Amino acid sequence: MSIKTFKGGVHPPERKDRSQNMPIEKVASVPQVVIPVNQHFGAPIQPLVKVGEYVKAGQKIADAEGRMTVPVHASVAGVVKKIEPRMQSNNLEGLCIVIEPKEPPEGESAQEFMPPLDPFAVSKEEALARIRAAGIVGMGGAGFPAHVKLAPTKPILCVIANAAECEPYLTIDERTLIETPEKVVDGVAIVMKTVNAPEGVIAIEENKKHAIPYVQKAIEANPQVKAGMKIRIQELRTKYPQGGEKMLITAITGKQVPSGGLPMDVGCVVSNVGTLCAIVDAFRQGKPLIERGFTVTGGACKTPKNLVAPIGTLVSDLAKAGVVEIDEDALGKVIFGGPMMGVALPSYEIPVQKNTSGVLLMSKQEAVQYEEQTCIRCGRCIRACPTSISPALLAIAIESGNYAEAEKIGLLDCIECGTCSFVCPAHRHLVQRFRVGKQVLRALKQKEAQNVR
Amino acid sequence: MSDKKLLLGSSPHTFSPVDTPRIMLSVVIALVPATAYGIYLYGLSALGVVVTSIVAAVLSEFVFRKIIKASTTVGDFSAVVTGLLLALILPPSTPLWMVALGAIFAIVVAKEFFGGLGANPFNPALIGRAFLLMSFPAAITTWTMPKGLPLAADAVSAATPLNLLKQGSTLADVANYFGASDVGTFYRQLFMGYRSGCIGESSILLVFLGGLFLLGIGVIQWIVPVSVLASTFVFSWLLGMDPLLGLLTGGIVFGAFFMATDYATRPMTAYGQALFGIGIGLITVLIRKYGGYPEGVTYAILIMNTLTPFLNKLRPKKYGFVPPPKPVKPSKEVAK
Repeated sequence: MSIKTFKGGVHPPERKDRSQNMPIEKVASVPQVVIPVNQHFGAPIQPLVKVGEYVKAGQKIADAEGRMTVPVHASVAGVVKKIEPRMQSNNLEGLCIVIEPKEPPEGESAQEFMPPLDPFAVSKEEALARIRAAGIVGMGGAGFPAHVKLAPTKPILCVIANAAECEPYLTIDERTLIETPEKVVDGVAIVMKTVNAPEGVIAIEENKKHAIPYVQKAIEANPQVKAGMKIRIQELRTKYPQGGEKMLITAITGKQVPSGGLPMDVGCVVSNVGTLCAIVDAFRQGKPLIERGFTVTGGACKTPKNLVAPIGTLVSDLAKAGVVEIDEDALGKVIFGGPMMGVALPSYEIPVQKNTSGVLLMSKQEAVQYEEQTCIRCGRCIRACPTSISPALLAIAIESGNYAEAEKIGLLDCIECGTCSFVCPAHRHLVQRFRVGKQVLRALKQKEAQNVR
Repeated sequence: MSDKKLLLGSSPHTFSPVDTPRIMLSVVIALVPATAYGIYLYGLSALGVVVTSIVAAVLSEFVFRKIIKASTTVGDFSAVVTGLLLALILPPSTPLWMVALGAIFAIVVAKEFFGGLGANPFNPALIGRAFLLMSFPAAITTWTMPKGLPLAADAVSAATPLNLLKQGSTLADVANYFGASDVGTFYRQLFMGYRSGCIGESSILLVFLGGLFLLGIGVIQWIVPVSVLASTFVFSWLLGMDPLLGLLTGGIVFGAFFMATDYATRPMTAYGQALFGIGIGLITVLIRKYGGYPEGVTYAILIMNTLTPFLNKLRPKKYGFVPPPKPVKPSKEVAK
C-alpha cells in the first residue's frame, strides 16, 4: 500500500506517547454538567427547559427551527439548576444549562433515548432527520452540523473517515480505532449509504500504523462490506495539518477543493472518527450525542489518559474527583483541542463540549511564549503553507492595509492551521494576523456590498 | 483553582525550535572550514581580517542601535554572519582599518539604515566589499600567494586566475603561474583552493561542503545555488568561455551558496528564486567577459537584489486556485 500525503506541512514533535497506550476510560459520575446551548456552527438555538425542571439523560433541552441548527440534549438525568452565561471552550461566555444529577422518581427511567433505527433500511431523509435529532456535529473541532454535511447537493464518490489525528498530543481517535474499530467501519458504511457513495476510505497516519490490523479485521467482518460495499484503509505520511479536511482530500484523491468551494465539489465527504461513532450510536442505540471521548494530557497532567465523559463535564470536576491529576505548580496553559489549533483558556473550569477532542494541560516549560521579532524573509512559511498562500507576503499586505492584495494572495483561503507561525524562526504572529485580517476583509466586503446597493 | 495566572494566546501553542540565532549560528558553522583553511593559507593577516571584520560589524550594530534607541539585536548573530562573510570576500592583505570601515559601512549603511535585519534591500557584506572596492581599488585587488607558492620573480603582488585570463593569458600560462604542470592538475588545484584569491572563497571543496551542510539542515534551499551555478556554466559556455573554469575560479561557488542565498535579499518564492539565480549567473558571466573587472559576482548579486521585490510577485498558485471567469466578449453580440 502506497503512503500518501499532501504538499507542504510540518511534523511537530508528536508527544502522543504518554496517552496512546491508555485504554479509554469512562467517567462514571459527575457532580454537575454545564452544557453550552450553542455548540454547533450555524444559527443560534434556545433552551427548551426551565430552572428546576427534571430532565432525563438524552432528553432534548435546546433547539430551534432552521437548517443550520442542531439540538442539544441533557447528558445526565437530573435537575436543571441554572441557565446562565458561562465560559465555554471557545473562550467566550455563552448561555449554558447547568444540570445536577439526581435519581429519577420511582418507577421511571433515567434515560430517554430514541428507538433504534436500521440505517440501511431507511430513506435518506429519515437518516438525516435521525442524525439531526441526535444532535450530531463535526467532532473533530469545527462543530459543523452533520445533517447538513451529509446532505450534499453534488454526487459523492468517496467518504473519508478522518483518523489522521495530526495534532500532537491527541490520541483519542487512535484509541477508538484500536478499541472499537467495528464501530468506525459501521459509521463509514452508514455515511456511505446516506450520501450514496461507492467508496469509503479510512485515513490513518503512519504513526498509528499499529491500529491498521484492527481496522482491517473490522472491515473484513463488516456485514455491509461482505455484501459488496467498498471500504479500504489509506495510510498517510505523518504530517500536520493532514487532518484538515482539504488537506486530507488532497492527500487521498490528489484533487484540490476549489477556492471558496466545499468537499462535495470534488465528490468527497469527510467525517471524523468521533462523529462516525456518534452516528452509529444514534442509529443502533437511538442515543443522542451526550458523551464523547477526548484525551487529557500535557506536561502538567500527572495522569495522561483517554476519557469518555458526559458533554458538559467540567475539567475542574474531573480534577476534584481525582480522575485527572493536575500539577498546579507546573501548569502554564490550559488548551481545549490540540496545541496547533486549540484554544487557550483562562482556567480549567470549562465544560467538555461536542467538539472537544482533547484537554491539554501544558506545563510552563511547554507553554513558552516568544517575543515577536522582525521577519528575516527566510521563506519557511511559504514552503510549509499547505494552501500555498505565501504567509510572509500575505502578512506584509495585511500590515500595510492592502486588503485587495491580501485577498488576491488568498487570505480567505487560509485554513488557520498555524503551520506558518509554528515554523517562523522570528516567531511572527502570522496565522494570528490572518485570523484578524479575514474578519477585517469580510467586514470591508460587506460594507462594499451595502454601498453598491 | 488557585489565583495563579495562566498563559493565554491565539494558537499555535507550540513552536519549531529553529529560531533566528540558531539559523545564523549554523551559517557561521558552515563557514568555519573555509575560514580555517583561509587562515592556514594566508597566515595571521587573514586571521586579523576575519577578527577585525566580525568585531567591527557586531560593535557597530550594537552602538548604532543604542544611538537610535532601538532594541539590541546582536543576540541574533546576524552581524557576526555579515562580518564573517565580508572578511571571507576580501583579499588577505587588506589593511585592518579598511576592513573595519567596510564592516561598519555594511552594517550601518546597508543594513541598519533600512531598518535592520530582514529589511535591507542589498546584501550587507557585498555592499561592504563594493564600497571598499570603489574607495580603495588598489588595496582590494592586491592578492597574496597562498603558503608555499612562490611569487613570480618580477612581481610585487600576486594575480588571481581571473586577473590573468582577463589580461589575455592562456589557460596553460595560468596553470604554470600557480605551479601546476598541466591544465588538469590546475583544475584539481583550483578545486582544493590552492591559488591566490579572497580569504574564504579559494577552496571550492570546503565552500561546497559548507553549502551542502546548510542544504542538509534546511537552512538554505537548492533552487538559488543550483540556478546560479547552472546559469554561470551555461552562459560561460554560450559566450565561448571555459564553463568549468568559470565555476572553479572567482567567487561564484561562494556567492551561490552564501551570498545569493541571503534571506533578506533573495526572493522568497520558488519561481522568483530560480529567475534570481539565473540572472546572477548571466550578469556574472557578462561582467567577466565584457566588463572592466575580472570578477563580477559581487555586482551580479547586488544588481539582482534590486529585482527581488518584483520577483516575489511570482507566487506559487494557491491551493484550490480557480481562474477568474473570463469576461464575456462583447464582439459576439455584435456578430449576431
